[in-house]
Amino acid sequence: MRKLHISIAAATLLGLSATPAMAGWKVVPHGMATAVAKSTLRVTPGEDWNQSSVRPVKQSEVWTLDGDSLNQLYFVSGLAAGGTLLRDSNKKSRPLPKMNGAMQLADIPEFFESSWRLGLNTSLFEMGAIEPTKLDGHDAVRFAYQYTVQGEMLTRKGIAVGTVVKGQLYLINFVAPSTYYFDRDRSKAQAIFDSARL
Amino acid sequence: MARLETRGRLAAAMAMLALAQPAAAEPPAVPPTPAPAATAEYQLYQPQDADERGLWMTVDEAERSLRNSPSVIRDPALNAYVRGVLCKTVGADRCRNVRLYIVRTPQFNATMAPNGMMEVWSGLLLRTQNEAQLAAVLGHEYTHFEKRHTVKLFRDIKAKTDAASFLSLIPYAGIAGLAMVSSVFGFSRDMEREADTGGLAKMADAGYDTREAATVWERLREEMDATAVARNTKSRKDKNGGLFATHPPSAERVENLRAAAAANPGVAGANDAEAYRHALAPLWPAFVDDQLKLNDFGASEYLLTSLASAGWTPALLYARGELYRRRALPGDLEKAVGFYGEAVAAGGTMPELWRGRGMALQKLGQADAGRADLREYLRRAPSAPDKPMIAMLAGEGS
Repeated sequence: MRKLHISIAAATLLGLSATPAMAGWKVVPHGMATAVAKSTLRVTPGEDWNQSSVRPVKQSEVWTLDGDSLNQLYFVSGLAAGGTLLRDSNKKSRPLPKMNGAMQLADIPEFFESSWRLGLNTSLFEMGAIEPTKLDGHDAVRFAYQYTVQGEMLTRKGIAVGTVVKGQLYLINFVAPSTYYFDRDRSKAQAIFDSARL
Repeated sequence: MARLETRGRLAAAMAMLALAQPAAAEPPAVPPTPAPAATAEYQLYQPQDADERGLWMTVDEAERSLRNSPSVIRDPALNAYVRGVLCKTVGADRCRNVRLYIVRTPQFNATMAPNGMMEVWSGLLLRTQNEAQLAAVLGHEYTHFEKRHTVKLFRDIKAKTDAASFLSLIPYAGIAGLAMVSSVFGFSRDMEREADTGGLAKMADAGYDTREAATVWERLREEMDATAVARNTKSRKDKNGGLFATHPPSAERVENLRAAAAANPGVAGANDAEAYRHALAPLWPAFVDDQLKLNDFGASEYLLTSLASAGWTPALLYARGELYRRRALPGDLEKAVGFYGEAVAAGGTMPELWRGRGMALQKLGQADAGRADLREYLRRAPSAPDKPMIAMLAGEGS
C-alpha cells in the first residue's frame, strides 16, 4: 500500500518524479545563506525549512515547511540546454520539453507550463500574471499559476521566478494548496525569492 | 504513472473498459446530462449477482468522485450534442442506461464502466472528424457495456486471484487512473472484436456511413507515425504494450472494420461532419491549446492539418504559428511569423496573433517589427495577464 501514497502525492514534484516514497529530510535553518541544488544559488530563509533528499532533476532541490503536498519550494539552478525541468520519467510516450539555449524570459512560463502539464498529466493548468522582475539583479520573469490534477478536487496555486544567465535557467517555484497554505506561506516564499544570490 | 501500475490488474479490471489511445491523459459547475428515468417500456439494466453488484458499488464510488471533478466539462451544449449522438447510435431506450461525462484531458480515449458511467475525453473529440466517427467510438463502448465485458473480465481475474486482495484495492479503483486499464487487457481481444462488430452494427442502424469506423483507427496510426517522424523515433502504432494492450490500432483491426463496413455499409456518405464541426467549434481552441502544450509536434501538426481539411481558419493558423514558435528549430520562427501573418490576412483578430508574431520577430532579430507587434497586442488586450512582461519586451516600460 505504500506506493499508493505516492499516487496521492502525485500532485507535487516528489510524487511525479517516481522516486521512492521514503525521502530523507534535513532541516535548513533560518537566517543563514544556504546553497541549494549543489550550486552557486544561495538563499536565506526566514524560517526553518525541510530539505528533501529527492532531486527530481540533478540541478534541482525540494524544500517544504509542513510536507511536500502542503507547501513546496522547487529550485532549479543552472539548467543547461537539453535539460528538462522535471525528471523525464516517461520519455518514450510523453517526453518533457527541453531547455533551449536561446530561451528568453518570456519563454520561461511557457516552458514551465508545458513541463508541468506533462509531468502532472493535467490539462487543468492556468497561467496567471506574468511580469518582469529581478533575481539578484538579473532581469527575470515572475509568474503565477494554478492547477488541479485529474482525479482530485484540490486546486493548487503557485508563484515562480526565473531567469536565464549565460544560457542556463535559474528558477524558484513555490506551490501550495489554494486552501489555506498558499496564502499563509506565499510571503515566506517571496522572501526567499528576494534573498536569492546566483 | 507509478500509481497506476501499483493498482494492479484486478483494480484496473474493475474500473472500466477503455478505448485506447495513441501517445501518452481536464472548465468546471453544472452536472452532466442525467440519464432520464426508466420508462415502463424499458427497464434499466440492473446487476444480476453478487459479483456484479460488488463491481457496481465500486464503480459507483468512482463515479461520485468524477461527478464533482473539475475535470468534467459542463458545457450544456456540448453535453447535449454528444449525448444526442450516443442516443441516436444506441437507441433512446438503451441510452437511458448511460450517464455521460466529458472529461478535459488531451488524449484519445473513451471508457464505459459497468454501472453505466461513460467517459469521453476531449482528446478524442479533437481527433474524431465527424459525427459518424464519434458514433463509432460511442457504439463500441456501449457494446462493452451491453455485453457485460467488465463483469466477465472481473470474474476471470477473480478466479485467478485472492479475493481478499481485490477488496483492499477497491477504494483506489477510481476514474483517475485510466492508464491502469492497460495492464488488464491481454485476454480481451475477443471482447474488442465483439465491441467493434457491435459498434459498427449500431452505426449502420443509426444511418451512419460505417466506413468511418476504420478511419478512426487509421488516423490514429497516422498520428502515431507523425509523432515518431518528428521525434525521430520508431512509430509505436504496432506496439502491443501500454495503453494499446487490448485496443491496438492494428492494421488487422482496420482491415476487420473495413470488411465489416463493406458487409454492412449503413448510409454511404452519411457522416454529419458539418453538425460535428458546428458542435465542437466553440471548444476547439481550448482543446487545441491543450494539445499544443503536450510537446508532441508531429501529432499536433497532423491534427491541425486535418482540422484544416475544410480550410485554414485564423484560429488554426494561430495554433500552427504557436506550434512552430514554441518548437523554434531552425526555420520554425520564420514559418511561425508566416502563419500568424496569414491568420491576420484571413481576418484573424485575436490579440495573441500579434503577441506570437512579435515574440518570433524579436527572436529573429527584427526588433522594431517585433516591438510594433507587441504594442499592437497590448492595444488589443489591455488587460492581458502578461501585460507587464510584454510591455517590457515592447519597450514600453511597465
